[in-house]
Amino acid sequence: MKTAVKPPGSDTARPTDGARPAHRLPFWVNQQLGLLVLIVVLAAVFGTLRPAFFNERLVLFPLLRDVSTLTVVALAQMVVLSIGHMNLAVGRMAAFGAFFAGFGYDRLGLPLVLGLVLCLVAGAAVGALTGWIIARTGVNSFVVTLAMDFALLGLVPLLYSACTENAAFTTRPAGLAELRSSSLADICLGPVCGSPAVPQVAQFTVLALAGLAFLYYRTRTGRELLLTGANPAAAELSGIPTGRRVVLAHALSGTLAALAGFMAAVGTGTFRASIGDDFMLPSFLGAVLGGTLLTGGAVSVVGALLGTTLVGVIRKGLDLLGVGLESLNIYLGCVLLLALSADRVRTVVSYRKVVRST
Amino acid sequence: MSDVLLECDSIVKVFPGVRALDGVGLTMTAGSVHALLGENGAGKSTLIKVITGVHTPDDGRLLRRGEEIHLRSPLDATRAGIGVVHQERNLIPGFSVAENITLQNPPSRRGLVDRDAMTAPAERCLAELGLDLDPHRPVRELSVAQQQLVEIAKALYTESQVLLLDEPTASLSPQEAEHLFDVVRRLKERGTCVVFVSHKLEEVFAICDTVTVLRDGRSVLESAPLSDYVQDDVVTLMVGRQHSVTDMTPRTVDPTARPALSLSGLNTAAGHRDVSLDIRPGEIVGLYGLVGAGRSELVKAVLGLDRVTGGEIRVDGEPARIRSPREALHTYGIGYLTENRKEEGVFLEQPIVRNITVTVWKKLARFLGDISSRAEKDVAQDLVDRLGIRVSGLAQNAGELSGGNQQKVSLAKWLAAETRLLVVDEPTVGVDVRTKHAFHELIWELARGGLPILLISSDLTEMITLADRVLVMADHRIRGEVPNDHDYDNMSGQIIRIIHDRAHPAAAASNGTP
Amino acid sequence: MTTLRNQGAAALPALRRFSRSTTMTLLCVVVAGYVGLGIASSGSFLEGPSVRTFLQYLATPVLIGLAQMVALCVGQLNLAVGALGGFSACLMGVLMADHGVPAGPAIVIGVAAATLIGLLTGIFIVATQINGFIVTLGTMTILLGAQYRLSGTRTIDGYSDTLRDLGRSAPLNIPLVFLTALATAALLAAFMYRTVAGRRLLAAGGNPVAARLSGISTDRQIVLAHTVSGLLVGIAAAVATASLPGVNRSVGGDWLLPSFAAPIIGGVALTGGSVAVLGTVLAAFVMRLIDSARAQFSLDPSWVNFLIGVVVLGTVVGGRIHQTRIERKITAPGGTSSAQPRGAARPAAALPSTKGAR
Repeated sequence: MKTAVKPPGSDTARPTDGARPAHRLPFWVNQQLGLLVLIVVLAAVFGTLRPAFFNERLVLFPLLRDVSTLTVVALAQMVVLSIGHMNLAVGRMAAFGAFFAGFGYDRLGLPLVLGLVLCLVAGAAVGALTGWIIARTGVNSFVVTLAMDFALLGLVPLLYSACTENAAFTTRPAGLAELRSSSLADICLGPVCGSPAVPQVAQFTVLALAGLAFLYYRTRTGRELLLTGANPAAAELSGIPTGRRVVLAHALSGTLAALAGFMAAVGTGTFRASIGDDFMLPSFLGAVLGGTLLTGGAVSVVGALLGTTLVGVIRKGLDLLGVGLESLNIYLGCVLLLALSADRVRTVVSYRKVVRST
Repeated sequence: MSDVLLECDSIVKVFPGVRALDGVGLTMTAGSVHALLGENGAGKSTLIKVITGVHTPDDGRLLRRGEEIHLRSPLDATRAGIGVVHQERNLIPGFSVAENITLQNPPSRRGLVDRDAMTAPAERCLAELGLDLDPHRPVRELSVAQQQLVEIAKALYTESQVLLLDEPTASLSPQEAEHLFDVVRRLKERGTCVVFVSHKLEEVFAICDTVTVLRDGRSVLESAPLSDYVQDDVVTLMVGRQHSVTDMTPRTVDPTARPALSLSGLNTAAGHRDVSLDIRPGEIVGLYGLVGAGRSELVKAVLGLDRVTGGEIRVDGEPARIRSPREALHTYGIGYLTENRKEEGVFLEQPIVRNITVTVWKKLARFLGDISSRAEKDVAQDLVDRLGIRVSGLAQNAGELSGGNQQKVSLAKWLAAETRLLVVDEPTVGVDVRTKHAFHELIWELARGGLPILLISSDLTEMITLADRVLVMADHRIRGEVPNDHDYDNMSGQIIRIIHDRAHPAAAASNGTP
Repeated sequence: MTTLRNQGAAALPALRRFSRSTTMTLLCVVVAGYVGLGIASSGSFLEGPSVRTFLQYLATPVLIGLAQMVALCVGQLNLAVGALGGFSACLMGVLMADHGVPAGPAIVIGVAAATLIGLLTGIFIVATQINGFIVTLGTMTILLGAQYRLSGTRTIDGYSDTLRDLGRSAPLNIPLVFLTALATAALLAAFMYRTVAGRRLLAAGGNPVAARLSGISTDRQIVLAHTVSGLLVGIAAAVATASLPGVNRSVGGDWLLPSFAAPIIGGVALTGGSVAVLGTVLAAFVMRLIDSARAQFSLDPSWVNFLIGVVVLGTVVGGRIHQTRIERKITAPGGTSSAQPRGAARPAAALPSTKGAR
């Protein structure tokens, strides 16, 4: 033990543990930077092959609207991943939240903002309930959120059929249509107008990103969430209220999921039970590609945005190249596996280096 | 009989950050019982894992009857006639006793498990240990001691020429241990070489012929006849002269001061009965006991992790009801340096700065819980400097540090919180000799500064070096108290006597199950 | 978590153990539910045609539940169950309808393809050491794309009538497909309880370190588990192809959640090492009973998912409470805990174990 060296890239004695935090890697293999470069290169390639790729209104606007929504979905997953949990029910929580927004507009005649608030509160409540069950019983989050997914999968359509005739709310409060179709081009500071490519719903995404970045990088609560994920036993002994942090993480996840549900509903213009059906896959894709660990203890807020953007760009680009919807998933799956394999190779290489130098 | 079955020749094994074995030699002769001794972290378990094919050595040779062999897997080792009982539990909880015993080589016909053929050899192995167990019972239903014995039966099943026993008696009663020793003697007569690892030197001197002592990853005594040594010589070799009981700057305790922590007649759900103790400012109270005596469990109950069913806890004279470690820290100022560093102490994959400041975020937090990273770094840097933690930077992950430095990080978080009472649980397990000494001085200085400290340790030398008085715990009760006169022989005699006085009747009572 | 094991070894203790097991509870629930439904339908539910329909739609849930169970018993999750099933069902359909392959070879090719994909998934997980959850998420994405590419938007129904007849035939009102599922379950049980390979699989799941020390390669067991899982999904796909009116891209879309629900209700731990073939089969029965009851009382189909969610949650939470009570009973008397070794299970029990699935 006397030659206790501390090489910069060393790992613990568990080389079998999947991904690892990115901050110890030299900057040129930094995951976020890699993603950014990949996105720029791919966008350039697609743009060269199909100049229509840069059409602001027809291509970039819908692309960014999807990316905005799915980034929030990825963030919802990232928050629970940060404590080493999973949320399989993101999609259904989104549907649950969206129901309440629709209910508020249709039945209570709420204005736009209040409906959104109701939606977020509903999401937070169902998330907190999930978190509370997990914290109290200690049952694996995978199972609990799976059961929650089932329950909401049944409950949401029941709620819709109880409150509506045709299983959807179509009442649109003032401002919703504008929110759906307007972009930064509609906001002008004197003669300077924004880009028509950036949709206005992106404001929610930006708010969520900023809020989470502040939470994780600046505050006590964020740090406590991360440490709860890194080692719950040590966190408890260090005076962190791990039970409350678990509830908080799930409540946040529910809130973000509900926000994503609201954004998706704004995108389509109707509030229906099928919102969020296809959220689970992008939620993991975005978070994991962005560098968030499944084991907890490390998150990347910007990574979630970049990961989702990469997926969106690939999807759109391949679509424009005429690859056809059916094959898109094949490529996306390959990208996910390749990206993670590359990360794995780096881990093994650096582990070997450390052992050799000891 | 000087028939060498297996020989290790300058084995080196490196883990990231640690040279666990640094040129160790070991000669195993037929028909002998070989003691492998050393303190925690000296490399015994690593050596055993190298011999049994779990780890491949980075350098050095393994010779079987003079021929070099390469063990790539535990299966290779079994085939080479090397059997082992590891320190960790290595049973499949859902399988039956018989199936666990025959796991390495299950009797089968055309790929089908032959359960009937499994029972007979299992029963034979169990009978050899004098164990009356139904071979069909699932292992998860057995007590810890029974599981330990099943593991030994499992090692007997392979009929190895070399059998390594790593702390086989840690959870056995004296009778069960005696049975095991009979088996060991029988195996020896049959020409097997048994390598015996134990902390209990009495056992070692009762059954072993030769001895190898490891210290700090090297063999300081290699395959020497045990009869040439007495216990004290071996202890001296194990700990190294420089850190046998050391004298420190004198320190006085005011015996009339109000106790910082006082337990009276405490009963807990974990099984403690009528535990009373007082810790005064500036005092180091030692809580000594064998593994499983219930020392850490007592602290966890006090911290609110287990239910306290009776008695009273007073902090600074006021009755206290502590419901969680958080309350213990923030309301009562009690810090607990856990024995289980990797699982409960440090966050291995997190930066050092977070590891240290986790206890003070509450104090550092400003509006909206915002924490200035400068304030955070200042706190951490100050402690890193004070404790002399060797780091490359505060952003380094704690898992990259050596054991001793990790332990310092673990301590630093309690010093950062400026706790008014510190419980230190096995502080120097797996810590190298120099850091160990530094740690002792650190604890001593903290007490000199007026901090009350409860020291839990199985290391008698450490206890006698540091403690003002030693409480002896066995079977979840305090069995006696010895004021420390810093004289090793006298103290160890008294403490061992307290433990032994009651170990026999209790063991007889609690182990009537098999 | 007492799973069925050791039958026939020591009859009495084994019987006692069985009487307290999840399987026994499930058996009671199935019998009570069946009788209850029979009474509620004034006997028509117990008549031939009803039994036939009941069992006809039970085959697939049983098979996919078992496929998931095999993965769970080595501590792996297989998210690709549905996608793999859908892919191989479409593969069989396309082979028969478009390429004129006879039914027999087509089924064999389909099942072999599923097995091979399972094998490759396992090898990939072991080779890269990436979390199985993410890898199967990736393969799921790829397979969804592949399935879509095979079938497009059409429904393939122009295949062998013999196969359809086999799929619909029901000697003595017991459908052939259900018998296939039962036979598969029996074979799987024999494999798990009786063969050396099956025991190795369980040993690796129960205590990976111990298994490795006993010369069992945990890597090989992971590969084996995914292969067997793939094989079972292949059989499920064959059953689906035979009994459905046609295959399209939606086959397998709703398999994922039930595949988890059955083993979890059946008493299989997510951490690995436990197996409950009978329990999984019975859990599938329970879920089918819920569906039948729903039809009997002509309720909204959404009730089924909601109830399954509640049942899953109830099972795991109830199981956890039961376990804690047992643990408390063991540790309560002072004397018995004297032989506790260092760190034996105690800290884990005292602290909330909220770590997510690995």
